[in-house]
Amino acid sequence: MPDLLTNKVAIITGSARGLGRAVAEAYISEGAKVIISDVDAGLAEATANEIGAAGSRACDVREPGQVEALVQSTVDEHGGLDIMVPNAGVATMAPIVQMSYEQWRETTSVNLDGVFLSIRYAAPAMIASGGGVIVNICSITALAGCPLIANYAAAKAGVLSLTQTAAVELRSHGVRVNAILPGFIGTDMVNDRKKVFEEMLGLPDFDALIVQKQGRYGEPAEVGRLAVFLASDRSRFATGCGYVLDGGARASLL
Amino acid sequence: MGELEGCRALVTGAGRGLGRAIAELFIERGAKVVCSDVDEPLVSDTVKEIGAARAVHCDVTDEAGVAACMATTAEELGGLDILVNNAGIEIVKPLFEQTDEEFRRLMDINVRGVWLGMKHALPHLAASAGAGADANVINMSSVAGIGGAPLFGSYCASKAAVVNMTRVAAVELRAVGIRVNAVCPAFIDTKMVERLVPAVEAVVGMPFGDIAAIKQGRLGTAEEVAETVAFLASRDASWTTGSAYVLDNGLTASLL
Repeated sequence: MPDLLTNKVAIITGSARGLGRAVAEAYISEGAKVIISDVDAGLAEATANEIGAAGSRACDVREPGQVEALVQSTVDEHGGLDIMVPNAGVATMAPIVQMSYEQWRETTSVNLDGVFLSIRYAAPAMIASGGGVIVNICSITALAGCPLIANYAAAKAGVLSLTQTAAVELRSHGVRVNAILPGFIGTDMVNDRKKVFEEMLGLPDFDALIVQKQGRYGEPAEVGRLAVFLASDRSRFATGCGYVLDGGARASLL
Repeated sequence: MGELEGCRALVTGAGRGLGRAIAELFIERGAKVVCSDVDEPLVSDTVKEIGAARAVHCDVTDEAGVAACMATTAEELGGLDILVNNAGIEIVKPLFEQTDEEFRRLMDINVRGVWLGMKHALPHLAASAGAGADANVINMSSVAGIGGAPLFGSYCASKAAVVNMTRVAAVELRAVGIRVNAVCPAFIDTKMVERLVPAVEAVVGMPFGDIAAIKQGRLGTAEEVAETVAFLASRDASWTTGSAYVLDNGLTASLL
């Protein structure tokens, strides 16, 4: 197993659990020094200790000052920042006509504003050291509508667009920006919401629909491996790209 | 990461360019590789130079020849886990100045050739998947498969067909355990691109180097394309199927 990310300094937001944690574990296994950032400081510290991360930080990605401090403290402690993975995300569910403005704002502010702020403060640090890589954790909901999560899907579509513009703006500075678009992954975020999909959409069996669309649930580690590829030099000609991994869900109209 | 230890692979159009680079990287990552090409002396030399298992003559438009190529490969390697449908041609001419013969020939190689490759690799790939391997196909498409470009009309049509055929193949073969993906590179520094420079310069009215620099920063390298192919072919991409991975240094991300 080659060490594709040896001594690379990486921040992963929302990485105390779920997908973010899986990406952190994949990066650590490739030799990266990972900062676990999460809104839950205690959980971030516990996860960092469990998986052998280089450190943990409390950060609410909706707060510009906190994101700026996250980047600055990482640069101060580790001498630079090579990889930023804006992953923090939330999901509240409601049909559009029942969705409160607070539900809309909560999800879009974490899932879209948070990515903007992560790029906003990470990119200058990367430019200062000659380059870097940003890997946005997006979703196939960026590509098609999904009932009950208009807020989430719109934010993810925004993330894909932000990926493209950031890539074009930052290309000449040696900063690559790409997005990963997973289908439904077997994380708590999805598991906790199956019943709501079933009840509100009148679906007999959400799992059966997922199996029909995408073969099976994806595993967080599978997202981790694509995140390693995109952070590594092996993908050095890729920027502005959105890589789908969804077991074929988006490939089929049916 | 990206390891292909013990994988058995066939790369079509592997005599030169992208195909050769893909075969070379697969070998470096531990795969056993058969190289096919319509140019037999060329692919024989390539196989010797890169240490591939065997060269096979194959015209991807000849159905019996394709079937024989798959059988020979499976026999040589003891099976087939990975097929890279790379053989392809381009015609650089205004769309309506292309002759019927040129259009048909391009579609025959770039589209029907990919279909025939998958069709006749299928029994071997299914056997591999049945034995627990991560059997998969990589079809070489292009950014021309997701966007139009003047002078590349038939090429664009063929590469778009490859992307959509990849999707259907992925969904139909998922239950058998075979993944099918496409790679869509922008202009790569190969002989194929070298040949089309004068025509592109004439129609865009800029030196080719400037076009490449503005649109995609620089030309990509065959090795960079091979890395993406190797990633998709490996177990690291175990849940990726029906996808088309663009590799273009920002070309398609930009409006300008």
